[in-house]
Amino acid sequence: MFAIRRPLRLKFAINSSRTFATASTPYVPPASLEIVADAPPPQFRSRKKTKPESPSFYTSRASYYDHLYQLETALQRCRRAISTLELLPLPAFARASLPPAQLLWRNRQSMMTMFSGSLTTARYRRMISVLADLEECSRIASAAGHTALAESIQPVLELFERQDKETVLARTVRKQVPMDRYGRSYTVGKRKESAARVWMIPVREPAPVTLSSDVLPSHSPRAQDVDILAPVVDNAFAPSPSASRMPVTTTTILVNNIPLNKYFDSPADRERIVRPLKLAGVLGTFNAFVIVRGGGTTGQAGAIAHGIAQGIVAHVPEVDHILRKAKLIKRDPRMVERKKTGLAKARKRYTWVKR
Amino acid sequence: MSFLSFTVTTRSRASLTALREVGSSLKARSYAAQAKGGSVKQNVQGYKGGKNQKLTKKQQRLEAMRNNKSPGVRLRPTPPSQLKHELFQSQRLDELMLPDFNAEELTERNLGKAMAFPLPENDAVRVFGVPRNVLLDFRILSKAASVVRDVTIKLVDRLQAASQESSQKNRFVLSGSVGSGKSFLLIQGVEYAASAGWLVMYIPRAINLVNSSTPYSYDLRTQTYLQPLFAQRTLQRFRTVNENTLSSLVAEEKIDLHDGLSLSQGTPLISLIDVGIKDQTFAPTVLAALLEALGKQTKVPVLLAVDDFQALFTKTAYKTPHFQTIRAWHLSMPRLIIDYASGRKTFARGAVVGALSLSDKTYGLSQELRHALGLQPWLQPSSYLKVAPEITAFTKGIQILKVPEKLNVNEAASLFEVWNKNKSFHTPGSDEVFLAKYTESAGNPRDFVWKGLLSTLQT
Repeated sequence: MFAIRRPLRLKFAINSSRTFATASTPYVPPASLEIVADAPPPQFRSRKKTKPESPSFYTSRASYYDHLYQLETALQRCRRAISTLELLPLPAFARASLPPAQLLWRNRQSMMTMFSGSLTTARYRRMISVLADLEECSRIASAAGHTALAESIQPVLELFERQDKETVLARTVRKQVPMDRYGRSYTVGKRKESAARVWMIPVREPAPVTLSSDVLPSHSPRAQDVDILAPVVDNAFAPSPSASRMPVTTTTILVNNIPLNKYFDSPADRERIVRPLKLAGVLGTFNAFVIVRGGGTTGQAGAIAHGIAQGIVAHVPEVDHILRKAKLIKRDPRMVERKKTGLAKARKRYTWVKR
Repeated sequence: MSFLSFTVTTRSRASLTALREVGSSLKARSYAAQAKGGSVKQNVQGYKGGKNQKLTKKQQRLEAMRNNKSPGVRLRPTPPSQLKHELFQSQRLDELMLPDFNAEELTERNLGKAMAFPLPENDAVRVFGVPRNVLLDFRILSKAASVVRDVTIKLVDRLQAASQESSQKNRFVLSGSVGSGKSFLLIQGVEYAASAGWLVMYIPRAINLVNSSTPYSYDLRTQTYLQPLFAQRTLQRFRTVNENTLSSLVAEEKIDLHDGLSLSQGTPLISLIDVGIKDQTFAPTVLAALLEALGKQTKVPVLLAVDDFQALFTKTAYKTPHFQTIRAWHLSMPRLIIDYASGRKTFARGAVVGALSLSDKTYGLSQELRHALGLQPWLQPSSYLKVAPEITAFTKGIQILKVPEKLNVNEAASLFEVWNKNKSFHTPGSDEVFLAKYTESAGNPRDFVWKGLLSTLQT
C-alpha cells in the first residue's frame, strides 16, 4: 500500500541530467532500498506515511466521529465498570424503580456548532442514543450509591446538555396549591361537562384514649423487672401496657351540602369518588366539601374524584406518582363527539341503501 | 324363492365356506395361512375382565393396593367433609358466635356490640314476622343478629320507665331517614320486652292492614269496617307468643261480645282469645276486648309495636260500595291501634311504639302526618292541601324518638364483623374496605351493608 514506484537513480548518475528514453526503472521494493547502496537521498525518499491520529481521519465528518468514538468508548468502559459492580443486567423491577430520566440534550443546530460541518438527523439521533445510554449508566450508578462513577460521567454529559436545562426543568414542577388559614386546600376537578370545586381539610385527631387499668393484663411486669434485651412474648395479640387505643377518624364528604350517600344513589359513583382516597391510603384523614355543577351523575362523580385527587396531592405530595399512575390526576380528555353532517350521530351512519 | 335361487358350483361353494371362515375370525388376514378346519384365534390386547386373568406384576400391585382396606394405603382422595386441617377451613362457615340478645345485657358496657336474637319457638319475631327488608337480612345471616346502638339503650330506658307507667305517657314513634335502622330498633324493643316478661303484640307490616289484602265488612255497631281474618291471625299469634304469661291472667270484669255472647268475670284471657280464634266473626270484637282487659290489669306491662306506622293514616285500597276510598282510621284494626297510639285507650302499664317506614311510596309518610308529628318542621304542608282533622287529633301527644342517620365507627365495625364472619363478602373484608364503604355510605346502615359491602366487587 505504501509502496510506490520510484524511479531508480542509476549508480553513476545521481546528479546527472542525462535523461534516458526509458524513464521507468525496474521496481525495487522500499525495504530493499536500505541495503542498496545507491538508494536515493533522503530528500527524494517520499515521506513516510504517518499513521493518522484518529481512525476518523478518512471519514467526511472527522470531528463528529471523533466525539462519537470517544462517547462509545466511554459507554463501553462504564458498562464494564457497572457489570463488575454486578449492576448489569438490571432486573425488571429494579429498572422500574430507577428515578425517571430527565433528558434535555442540545438540539441539532446547537450540536452542529460543536462539530465542524453539518449534522444530519440520523447522525444526531445516533449521538443522542449513545448519550442516553451513558446517562442511564450514570443513573444506575448513582441509584446504587456509586456516586464517584456517576460524577465522573456527568461532565461528559454536561457538554451535550441544553444551556437552559434548569429553567426547563423548573417549568415542569407542579405549582403548589396554597392552603388557607384553616389548612384547607381548594382544587378543581372536571369531567365531561361537569366541574367540581373541592375544599379538603385534614380531620382533627382526637386525643388518644388510654386503656384503663382493668383492661390491661394483671401480670404485666414492672419497668425495672423487665430486661429489655430478653424477648418474652406471652400473647402476641394482648394490648401492651404502654399502648393507648387510637380512635378511628372517618372521612365525611358533602356534595352540594348533601351527604354522599344521598346525592349519589349508585354504588359505582360512590366508589369512583372514594377511590383516590383509598389508593393514597388517606381514608379517614381528610374531610371534603364539594360544590359540583353541570353534567350528569357519572360526570359529576368523575369531576369530584379528579378534584379530590388534586386536593390529596396538595396536602400529601408524596402520593403524586401513585395517583398519576392510576390516571386520577390527569383530567379525562374524553368529551362528547360532535354530530357530523351526513351521519345520524357522531359515528352512526344512515342505513345503506343499495339503490 | 325364485329370485334367490341360483346354482352354486362346488368350487364356488368351497370359496364361500372359506369366506365364511374368514369372516368369523375378524383379526385373521386374508393373506395369512389358514389352519384347515378352524379359524385363526388372535390374542386380544387389553384388560379382559374376570378373575382368572394373568396380570403383570405392576397390575397385580395396583390391584392389591386398590383392594387393600387399611387406611394407611388408600388410593382415593379424602372427601372434603373429612378434611379437618386448618388449611382447608377457609371457606367453611362457622356458626356466628355472638352473645344472646337479653334484657340484662342491654347496658352502656355493651354499646356497639353485636348480639344474636335467640328466637325460640314462641318468639315474637318468629311468630309475628318481620318487615321485608329485615327478613332479607335474617335469611342471609346464619343467625339473626343486630348491633346495640346508643339509640337502643335510649329506647330500652324508655320502655323500662314505661313498664311502671300508663301507656298514656309512653307513646313513641321512631323516625329517621331511609335505611337508618328504625325497623331493626323496633325489633330490638320487641325482643327486649319479650325477654323482660312483657305481653307483646307486634304488627310488622301495617301496610297489609290497608292494602286490601284481607277481607273487610262494614259493621253497623262500631261504624267501622271489620277485618276479621287479620284479627283472627293476630289473636292466634298473640296467643302463641304470650301463652305462658297469659295463662296467669283472668278477666277482671264481665266481657260482652256481640250476638249475645258474653264471658263472665274471672274467665282466663286465653279462653277469650280462643273464642276469637275459633270463629272469625268474633275476632275483631275479641281483639278489642282483649286489649281492653289487658289494659285494665296491672300485673304485666303490655307493648303494642307497629311497623309502617304511617300506613295507619293514609288512604287505603279498600272502597265503599259507592267506590269511595276508605281512610285507614275507618278500618277496625288500624282504628284500634290508633286509639291506643292517640291515648284514647290506654294500658295501665305499658307502651305503644310505632316505626315509620319510608321505603313504600304508595302508603308513605304523608305531608299531613309529617306535619302533625312535628317532623322536619321547616317543611310546611301546602296551603292547598286539605288536612284531615283526624290526623292531628290522633297524633296528639306522640313522642318522636329520632334514630340517628349515621352509625358510629364502633357500631359499624361490629356490623362489618358480623357480615365478615358470615363470609358474605366477595373477598374477605379488610380495614380498607370497611373505611371505604363507611365513607361511601356516610354511615347509613342500609347503604353500608347493602349498597356498600354486599354489592361491591372491589377487593
